[in-house]
Amino acid sequence: MKLNIGIYWGAACGGCDVAILDTHEKLLEIADMADIHLWPIAMDFKYSDVRAMKDGYLDAVLFSGGVRNSENEEIAKLLRAKTKTMIALGACAQMGGVPGLANMYTREDILKRVYLESESTANTEGIVPLEGAKNGAHELELPRFYNTVKTLSQVVDVDYTIPGCPPASMQIYSALGLIWDNMLPKKGSIIGAGDRALCDECSRKKSEKTITKIFRTHEKLPDAETCFLEQGFICLGPATRSGCGSRCIKSGTPCRGCYGPLDDVADQGIKMLSALASVIEAKDEKDIDAVLDTVVDPLRTFHRFSLASSILRRKKA
Amino acid sequence: MKRIAIDPITRLEGHGKITIFLNDEGAVDNAYLQIPELRGFEKFVEGLPVEEIPRVVTRICGV
Amino acid sequence: MAFEPRIVGFLCNWCTYTGADLAGTARVKYSPNIRSIRVMCSGRVDPVFVIKALYEGADGVLLGGCHPGDCHYQEGNYKALRRYLLLKRILPEYGIEPGRVRLEWVSASEGERFGRVVDEFTEEIRKLGPLKIKESIFESMRGDVLHESERSEQTGEAR
Ligand code: SF4
Ligand code: SF4
Repeated sequence: MKLNIGIYWGAACGGCDVAILDTHEKLLEIADMADIHLWPIAMDFKYSDVRAMKDGYLDAVLFSGGVRNSENEEIAKLLRAKTKTMIALGACAQMGGVPGLANMYTREDILKRVYLESESTANTEGIVPLEGAKNGAHELELPRFYNTVKTLSQVVDVDYTIPGCPPASMQIYSALGLIWDNMLPKKGSIIGAGDRALCDECSRKKSEKTITKIFRTHEKLPDAETCFLEQGFICLGPATRSGCGSRCIKSGTPCRGCYGPLDDVADQGIKMLSALASVIEAKDEKDIDAVLDTVVDPLRTFHRFSLASSILRRKKA
Repeated sequence: MKRIAIDPITRLEGHGKITIFLNDEGAVDNAYLQIPELRGFEKFVEGLPVEEIPRVVTRICGV
Repeated sequence: MAFEPRIVGFLCNWCTYTGADLAGTARVKYSPNIRSIRVMCSGRVDPVFVIKALYEGADGVLLGGCHPGDCHYQEGNYKALRRYLLLKRILPEYGIEPGRVRLEWVSASEGERFGRVVDEFTEEIRKLGPLKIKESIFESMRGDVLHESERSEQTGEAR
């Protein structure tokens, strides 16, 4: 029997959907495995079609993107009711992802910057989006733009998570295979990724790390064979789950942590903070501070993809 | 008056809906394209190290 | 009711915790606001512990270790110092006063100094006032719909 699946995006960029398409000819196998009943990027199903489904009709939903507004939330809850298995697909669904960086600001900060202050916007009437508007007899609604970006699991129960920004295509394919073969691990597991730190799979040469200065990527050319961290570039490898195939590392750029934390790590960014502090050589407060002065934008660097899922989640008012 | 909602619009990157109002004769009174989406990149890229921008703004649209 | 700071202390077994013990046996009087947790080494304190303590309701966190050069495990206290200094840099970005976390070297023989450190830190936190981070996060999400499990936290006992 074919599986019934739905693919949806909340506050996502569509990159996860493209990662599914990037399975290339394997897409035909996916089409043999499953009937797709919702996939906005590629197929013309409406929310009304989903509402008409019986509860639990779908075997699995792949949900990419975080929850940024009330529509994301509403559809997440709708799909949760319609599916037996809810799968968070990608870093945004898992941890808020890059859009989660908005948690450094409030709803008002963002609306003001985007609609009233943006250099390229002519908005003399000072219009910002409303949740409801009336034009004569026409009543229109827009979703509520939330103050705080949330992860999918902060809004509905999530059964499995496929990490990555975007997830590696073959990892999505193999995760779908687990559903098809009825081989899913215990609820709550991460699928389509490794269970070690990226560093453990990284082929760069590693020795004792004693950092005396942090370099930004334009400040010096990284050596192609040595560990980035050892060379003084911040690399989130120690705090990041393997599974991407060291994509960034192999392309000559340090990891930013899109595969998220390892099991039992409560806060990927703070873990990275800890790892970085451990490999700095200085022992004296003044010397340490001199090295730390070269760490630019630490909070958002450590939490590039994970701010919304970090313990503190957002900047305190 | 009749109201037709096309929700969501599909096969493109992003979210959108179209609401069409028909008058009693069945002709279109007005149609609205609504974008229920916002991320706020304009705000949260402020103060990011410039060399990080390429890896951040690529998450505006990944299609 | 007047605000009484809640302070969580992560104290190393070999120096600060023993110093705190000495403060007790020597009947040194100091603020009862600290809840001490013994760890084997200040280098064992994962900064996640500190963040979690603040999130769960501490108004301040005191880290105690051996004086430089005295670490039972050679280097643990230097590691603690580096983590502490880096953590202090991200706290303000989260909107938290960096003064809410403090690292002090207190040896096993400095019972009296332990008392002084706790008194001073308590007064500092008293000046900063309650942190209430969890309340503030949930307050800022008012109007957002929440997961069942969080709704109960939001309406949970007010402190
Ligand atoms: S820190 Fe980065 S470059 Fe170094 S071993 Fe880990 S993943 Fe590889
Ligand atoms: S190297 Fe890091 S940031 Fe790059 S794809 Fe892998 S996990 Fe993601």
